[in-house]
Amino acid sequence: MNHAIAVAGALIGAGLALGGGAIGAAIGDGLGGSATIQGVSRQPEAQGRLMALFGIVIGLVEAMYFINLGLGFYFITSVASGVQ
Amino acid sequence: MMYLAEAAPGSHPLTPVCGDQSVSLLVLRFYYCGFTLDTLASSSIAILVTMAIAFFVASRLRSGQPGKLQMVLELLLGYVRSLVRESVAEDATFIVPIAATIGLYILVANWLEFFPLAFSTYVRAANADLNQTLAMALVVILIVQWYSIRALGFGGYLRRFTKPFELPIWARALFVPLNILEEIIKPITLSLRLFGNIFAGVLMVYLLSLWFQAAIYWAPLSVVALVAWKFFDVFFVGSLQAFIFMLLTVMYFGAAREGLEEELHAAHASGSHHADRTPAPTTTTSN
Repeated sequence: MNHAIAVAGALIGAGLALGGGAIGAAIGDGLGGSATIQGVSRQPEAQGRLMALFGIVIGLVEAMYFINLGLGFYFITSVASGVQ
Repeated sequence: MMYLAEAAPGSHPLTPVCGDQSVSLLVLRFYYCGFTLDTLASSSIAILVTMAIAFFVASRLRSGQPGKLQMVLELLLGYVRSLVRESVAEDATFIVPIAATIGLYILVANWLEFFPLAFSTYVRAANADLNQTLAMALVVILIVQWYSIRALGFGGYLRRFTKPFELPIWARALFVPLNILEEIIKPITLSLRLFGNIFAGVLMVYLLSLWFQAAIYWAPLSVVALVAWKFFDVFFVGSLQAFIFMLLTVMYFGAAREGLEEELHAAHASGSHHADRTPAPTTTTSN
């Protein structure tokens, strides 16, 4: 019974982390994208450099979400195997 | 189908060296005396492939008509060199081999993940183990500390922890714990970013292969999703994370000499000129 409660709690926690992480990553992507569009419309010749920077920023932002995903899975499995 | 998928991700088999010594933190246990054999095997494969590529290119180096691989590697090396020159210092060329080697190694290790690695439990994506990425991040951050002490002196190194230099002294004292925390968090985020991305990629491949086994009518969709994810994960996320690890390595070296520029500016404003130091590059505005 305790095991079921612990696993349920871990699943709910991982779900919350994934949801919040998705919101954060979406906001971050949107901010980066809007700044890139503004930069390109202001200086169209800088598009190449701006797109490279945009790719780096997207990588940094998305990394947080992937960390969420990976660690969430780790916590679920370790709770499921660690709590009797 | 299982050959397309990875092995089930999760805990790595631990080979103990001196018993089961571990530190327990909440639900996680950190074993500090032992090693994970699968990561050692897969990272040594990645190291061998990296060295093979590098020595292959070095053995047939041509200056007139460079080969395709040589051009790509020269592009990478030239980029790292200009990055170090711009964001660290002109004379800090020792960073170029460190950053470029780390970048190339992570790139090769991530791209090897494209091949189905489930034929052996000992071969996985090398960076899907926190031990591996944390080791690289710790090496980087230790060299950064050494470089900071060498560039700023020990007093300047300690002074760097009171970072917003333009604030009054009591406000700078408030920032000391934050700066120490930032320095501790640097290797953690650096390693977790790479580990999280690669581990999540392996995890998604595993989950998609479970989807394949769930019911026969899901099979076509799951194969399409699996192939699309594999390409996205390996060639986009893998390359991007290798690049970002390399970029952040150089950026941390740049941050390690932060107080120096500020002192130079102060000295410049008070009238004393350093002929051997070049001033900060002025930003040019174009239309």
